[in-house]
Amino acid sequence: MLLIKRVNKEGIKGIMRGKRKKAILTIVLILVTLVMIFPLLWVVILSFKTSAQIFSEPFILPKRFDLTNYIKVFKVMNLSILYKNTAIIGFFSVTLSIIITFMSSFSLSRMVFKHKKLKDYLYNYFLLGLTIPPMILLFPVYRLTVSMHLFGTYLSLILPYTAMNIAFNTLLFVGFFNDFPGEVEEAAIIDGCGLRRLCTTVVAPMAKPIISTVLIFNVLYIWNEYPFASVLISNTEKYTIPMGSAFFKGMFSMDYGGLIASSVIIMVPQLIFYGIFQRYIVGGMTAGAVKG
Amino acid sequence: MHHLSKSRNFAIMLIPSVAVYTLYIVISVFVAIYYSFTKYSGVGVEKWVGLKNYKRLLTDRYFIIALSNTGIILVVALITLVVLGFLLANLLHQKLKIKGVCQALIYIPIVIAPIVVGVIWLFILDPSYGFINNFLRYIGLGDYSRSWIGAKNNLAAYSIAFIYFWRNLGYIATIFLTGINMISDEIYEAAGIDGVNWFTKMIYITIPMLKETITIVIVLVVTGVFKVLEIVTQLTNGGPNHLSETLVTYSYTVSFNTGEYGYGMSIATVTFMISLVFSLFYINVINKKGK
Repeated sequence: MLLIKRVNKEGIKGIMRGKRKKAILTIVLILVTLVMIFPLLWVVILSFKTSAQIFSEPFILPKRFDLTNYIKVFKVMNLSILYKNTAIIGFFSVTLSIIITFMSSFSLSRMVFKHKKLKDYLYNYFLLGLTIPPMILLFPVYRLTVSMHLFGTYLSLILPYTAMNIAFNTLLFVGFFNDFPGEVEEAAIIDGCGLRRLCTTVVAPMAKPIISTVLIFNVLYIWNEYPFASVLISNTEKYTIPMGSAFFKGMFSMDYGGLIASSVIIMVPQLIFYGIFQRYIVGGMTAGAVKG
Repeated sequence: MHHLSKSRNFAIMLIPSVAVYTLYIVISVFVAIYYSFTKYSGVGVEKWVGLKNYKRLLTDRYFIIALSNTGIILVVALITLVVLGFLLANLLHQKLKIKGVCQALIYIPIVIAPIVVGVIWLFILDPSYGFINNFLRYIGLGDYSRSWIGAKNNLAAYSIAFIYFWRNLGYIATIFLTGINMISDEIYEAAGIDGVNWFTKMIYITIPMLKETITIVIVLVVTGVFKVLEIVTQLTNGGPNHLSETLVTYSYTVSFNTGEYGYGMSIATVTFMISLVFSLFYINVINKKGK
């Protein structure tokens, strides 16, 4: 009897301790989260203050939601052109890179190489691209673009963006194909299915989840890309979103309100995009890094 | 699959990727290395100067500053991201109700355009109108306010390292979490029964089993540092007087703002070589995993 009582007491104590531990951990996690998202909230708050207030009384909360900054930015910043350019470049580049890397990854994973080593070499050759600092490519790509008479056109960015995504797409696609059983494909081949039909009607539909992940990543890359755009685009009519943002940093260098509002305007659609595709983004990024 | 593996099919499937990748990435690297041995100002023809650019690097004060700043950023970012990313992953591994929401929120910074990240932190770190110093003054700790950016000290490098940390913490923690989730619960349960405490579990079970994940994280953090450009240009533009320059921003400035492309490419080549060493580690780990 005494023993049972003691066990019970221990048990309750244990549960209590577990609960307290959980409460502490929960509080720690909430604090970490708040610290992490605070900078984003701060700029949103600042964006409702006038430039003078931001400079003279940065720590006082805005008394009312002043929309002057936003109105000004919408007047100066031609958002529709920025989004249109980014969308055109993104559409063609992402389509192109997904099609070509789908093809190359499928053959790297499935087709029978005469020289087995060659397959590994090619795979590694593509993977090296993951870690190359883009800085070293900017000037050579600029020279290449000029020599091909593409400078200032959409193609000047479509091609390097496609190239930059090849490494990442290869990592994800090859990883997916390697994990995926090939029986359905074999059956289709026995039924006399050619390579093109095999890819378009059998493999591509099965690879939908990984194609979505790759798609979202490539879109995000182009949406955020600044270094290449800054070197290859000089005409404001062809500016992409990050270029527009940098341009307004220059323009608003003394106008903090405008600078902050323009940043918030760039940031919010990205947050919505992330909110919708969060599963794919988090999954794809870690799969790319961990799975191989 | 065997009879579809004809040379013609190989060509169709592989040539587009190989061609675009080779032309834009691989050949470009060699072109950059070639230019690093020349003097080229943007017009006319480049002039071969041999190792002159590299010799100049050794005596260029700003290059040394950029190199040391990059070193500071690397070390600080590496230590903070590996240690705190790992701890955060363990926190997210606990069965807490709100962990899903928190994980999603902590992950946000990596998604936002770096060009915007620079602006956001400008209004946190600026010595006069930034949040931190005003907050410190507000709570009476004004003595601790510092010139986090824009002064003649090397605090800016630490600030940039912190921003890099902030941007990548959620990402790195998620990678660690994926690794931790792959360790079977049974191992922990067995350890738990034996009355082993959390710390011992970490040292003897979790960390040894995460060896590959840790290597990947290190490589991602290191090679990621060599991709940072916009955050610095927006935050300090390398200033004042090149004091907050990193290898990447200095190479960019020398090439595209000063127009000394040959010299700029020699800085880029050095950056590339450092990064390449880590890339080879990465490829090595990925290949081991594939088998």
